[in-house]
Amino acid sequence: MTIPFFHPSNLTREFELEPGEVVLAEVRKHWFVFTLELLPFAIIAVLPFAFAPLLSIAPPLANYANLASFGTGIGRTVLGIWLLIVWTSAWGAFTRYYLNVWVLTNLRVMEVIQHNYFHREVSSVLLNRVQDVTTEVKGALFSLLNIGNIHVQSAGTVDEFHMDGIGGPAALRDIILKKVSEQSKTDGV
Amino acid sequence: MPDQPLTPFTGLPFHIAISTGAATAWALVAVLLFWAVYTAVAVYHWVKYSHAASVASLAIVVHLAVSGVLLLFVLVGALLP
Repeated sequence: MTIPFFHPSNLTREFELEPGEVVLAEVRKHWFVFTLELLPFAIIAVLPFAFAPLLSIAPPLANYANLASFGTGIGRTVLGIWLLIVWTSAWGAFTRYYLNVWVLTNLRVMEVIQHNYFHREVSSVLLNRVQDVTTEVKGALFSLLNIGNIHVQSAGTVDEFHMDGIGGPAALRDIILKKVSEQSKTDGV
Repeated sequence: MPDQPLTPFTGLPFHIAISTGAATAWALVAVLLFWAVYTAVAVYHWVKYSHAASVASLAIVVHLAVSGVLLLFVLVGALLP
């Protein structure tokens, strides 16, 4: 049984691969970077639970600590609404994380940037147009986890492709350069 | 200059009274609307752009499940005194 929404023809509509073109890799931000992006949501989620204890330790405000109690119906409702909003926002962050992707094929690099739900940017550069690939790894923790940034500069364009916080940027650079080299030989350059 | 004595302001010609229950109900409706619209837009993006049916299905199911639990918590809280 095929679910209509998830029919393969719907899923491949955005990327029409050329004959003989195969997807080599899909690259997203490293999971650790995404976890860091989730931290503010986690802090916001636990704020209501810290509110009452914080009020009780401040003598002038101690009388208001009961307002932050979740034993009452209104307290639980407010807490539930708070958590629902935080959860939905965090899930939205995961959605944007997943939709921001680099797709590397044997012919080109495609960059998909989902700025927000109503601003989506899809661009691609043929491998035989790639002039320079730069990677950088900054910071002790990112060096340990091998997380860094990659920049691809193509010929004849001011803009360059860049993605920050990916895992193994050097390995991806090597794959791109290898494919660029293969493309150059194929084109007889 | 007015030649009549000033009359004190007696307030608006209608009475506005908002109970806590009504305010809670309106807040619930607003949050549910926000959640429904946001979820619909996000699900549309998952379905159209994720290019991975398994990940999209899992993400949508988890979101609906967690949201369902939270909504139940909200509704139970709203029904409590």
